[in-house]
Amino acid sequence: MIKIDKVSMKFNLGIEKDSSLKQFFVDTFSGKKKKKQEEFWALKDVSFNVEKGEVVGLIGSNGAGKSTLLKVVSGVMKPTKGQVEVKGIISPMIELGAGFDANLTARENIYLNGSILGYSKKFLDEKFNEIVEFSELRDFLDVPVKNFSSGMTAKLAFSIATIVNPEILIVDEILSVGDIKFQEKSKNKMMEMIKGGTTVLYVSHSLESIQDLCTKVIWLKHGQIVKIGNPKETCEEYYKEQME
Amino acid sequence: MIKRMLTNFKKYSFLMSQLISRDFKVKYKRSVLGILWSLLNPLLTMTVMTIVFSQMFKFQVEGVNYIVYLMTGIIMFNYFNGASSAAMTSVVENFSLINKVYIPKYIFPISKCLFVGIDFLLTLIPWLIIILLTYFGLGDHICQININYILLPYIFLCLFLFAAGMGLLLSCISVFLRDIFHIYGIIITLWNYLTPVFYSIEILPDFLQKLMKFNPLYQFINCARSIVLYGQAPNLTHLVIIGIMGFGMFTIGGLVFKSKQDKFIYYI
Repeated sequence: MIKIDKVSMKFNLGIEKDSSLKQFFVDTFSGKKKKKQEEFWALKDVSFNVEKGEVVGLIGSNGAGKSTLLKVVSGVMKPTKGQVEVKGIISPMIELGAGFDANLTARENIYLNGSILGYSKKFLDEKFNEIVEFSELRDFLDVPVKNFSSGMTAKLAFSIATIVNPEILIVDEILSVGDIKFQEKSKNKMMEMIKGGTTVLYVSHSLESIQDLCTKVIWLKHGQIVKIGNPKETCEEYYKEQME
Repeated sequence: MIKRMLTNFKKYSFLMSQLISRDFKVKYKRSVLGILWSLLNPLLTMTVMTIVFSQMFKFQVEGVNYIVYLMTGIIMFNYFNGASSAAMTSVVENFSLINKVYIPKYIFPISKCLFVGIDFLLTLIPWLIIILLTYFGLGDHICQININYILLPYIFLCLFLFAAGMGLLLSCISVFLRDIFHIYGIIITLWNYLTPVFYSIEILPDFLQKLMKFNPLYQFINCARSIVLYGQAPNLTHLVIIGIMGFGMFTIGGLVFKSKQDKFIYYI
């Protein structure tokens, strides 16, 4: 399903400075050799496989490379080195609501965001009511999204993203959106998809929910894999290390 | 490869239509006349331009209807300006999307060019109305509607491809060099004055007249003018030249964009 083979990802931290014409001229005419840009490896030699139906949790402290890894899998970034092989339709949920236009109404955004996620018009027409029902926002359909609270926006985004049954679902810290009732609902929805055979890549800082949902856990540290193993053990080891 | 491009295009055509309709909704939000502005705006602009150039500056072009001469130049140049400028900023503006979901990035500049293109097609309505009004004595000369009008879509297609190629190139540059936003503003102003939009090419010095051959915008506008003002089809050489200019620019822009697009994500 997903095959990650020796993937490395390099960022140039100094890159920000270069992108103005003035800097370009300054560098060219001052005769100074450009300082070697600071390199940062967000991922180093990461390899693992995910089979169909597995629910894989990614843990690690901030900056360990979890989100970068998700971006590489979903195709947003191409790895500097290594191979990524993904079979199946991916539904990315990396940061919900990325495709919303704040000036448009919820109704318009369902279509816009749906089309960004690759749904067809026919599909959205059919599922429109289901999306609205799940999001509990029927009364606010014609309100511009900029007037929504962050919880409401997240509810709408979650409902759109999970309306398909994707073969691979990529989830980055989203089960904590909305009120308690909606959290419960979204968790159930995820469970339902997992039972239906969806492969899931799940990033969370909540070790509890990782142990609840996942069948396998990958622990990342400074861009490298520390351990791949069963959820309970790996989470416990990770917790111990963090608390030291 | 072409087959792959077409299936890809089909797959993302709904997204493209959504992006275009979003642009329309945002553009005409909270405006009473809404899309009517796309018709009214060129009409009113034309009125102002006509008064300024033919009444105040006493511009005219020998033997043709100056109002139609002016309007043809303006709507075509404005299309190019609007489309290439909107396309230029489109990639940087949509960074939050590019950073989170995989979408072919060319969608953004191309959908901008199409969006401005729809606006352009709407301005053709007041343009035709003006042409019809010449039958009733608007200006000194009558502009005959003739069979050669069937060549206009081809000319507009070349203009679109040229603008789209330029937009792809500019949007790519803008990722690495934001200064292009300011630089291009200056370039467009210069380009506008160097293109005989409101004056006739004859008033230019010799060497500039010769250089004008290499100004694609002049070529596009000139072909359209020869049909509308003189009722003559542009000769075959000219038609081929504008084709090469349009497709050529589109290919260059497309190739540059394609070779750099994987790097965008590190620079935005």
